[in-house]
Amino acid sequence: MLILTRKLGETIAIGDEIKITFLAMKGNQLRIGVEAPRNIPVHRGEIYQLITEQNQQAAAIDVELLDIWGKMKSGANV
Amino acid sequence: MIIPTTRFGPLVVEEAKFITMERPILGFDRLRQYILLPGQKDSPLWWLQSVQNPAIAFVVVNPAIIKPNYDPEFPDEVLELLDIKNIEDIVLLTIVTICSRPLRITVNLKAPLLVNAESRRAGQIVLDDPNCPIQYDIVENRECHSRQEPAIAHLLGKIAHPVVGATAG
Repeated sequence: MLILTRKLGETIAIGDEIKITFLAMKGNQLRIGVEAPRNIPVHRGEIYQLITEQNQQAAAIDVELLDIWGKMKSGANV
Repeated sequence: MIIPTTRFGPLVVEEAKFITMERPILGFDRLRQYILLPGQKDSPLWWLQSVQNPAIAFVVVNPAIIKPNYDPEFPDEVLELLDIKNIEDIVLLTIVTICSRPLRITVNLKAPLLVNAESRRAGQIVLDDPNCPIQYDIVENRECHSRQEPAIAHLLGKIAHPVVGATAG
């Protein structure tokens, strides 16, 4: 991992298109601004992780499991 | 062209019907092309099959069926990225996760798929809204509508791949 020391207001450039600015610090919280092209999604790490895991679980679905939906629907009050 | 799929066998697909992920499904960065296939007859579920990876397919559902008042707001930059000119062209899909034991069916309301039905440009969009859970349990929350709104059904039909054309073998 590359480790850099930056002052508030200073930036880090990643490639030509991504810029990270360190805006403010309050207690143990950092405010960071991220500029990136629209096709590069920027997320909080823990949210990214949760959604990635959910997607991976969803992508492993078995065709037979779809029957469960039908059974559940037929027993449901809809 | 013919693409191999783990679940449906080889499929004859039309490139014109590909849905392109301008913002990838998280964790599947390299898989940019998908086709939307109907699920079982009369089911509101659809399959989103990866063109590049035969083993990757998501079950998706239009959230209007799951949670009628789900009406997320999308940032302008997303609408621009997907080149959405009319709100009516938007098709929302949410990814379904089904676990058999214990039975649990959830949909991801936090990160829906937004599809431009005109251009077939799409993306998984992470919402800031804390009221949109990643695992919305549809067994517990039985708000389900059994029928798809005609307007949405029309759009889904428009972006879907025509009937699965499996080749012999």
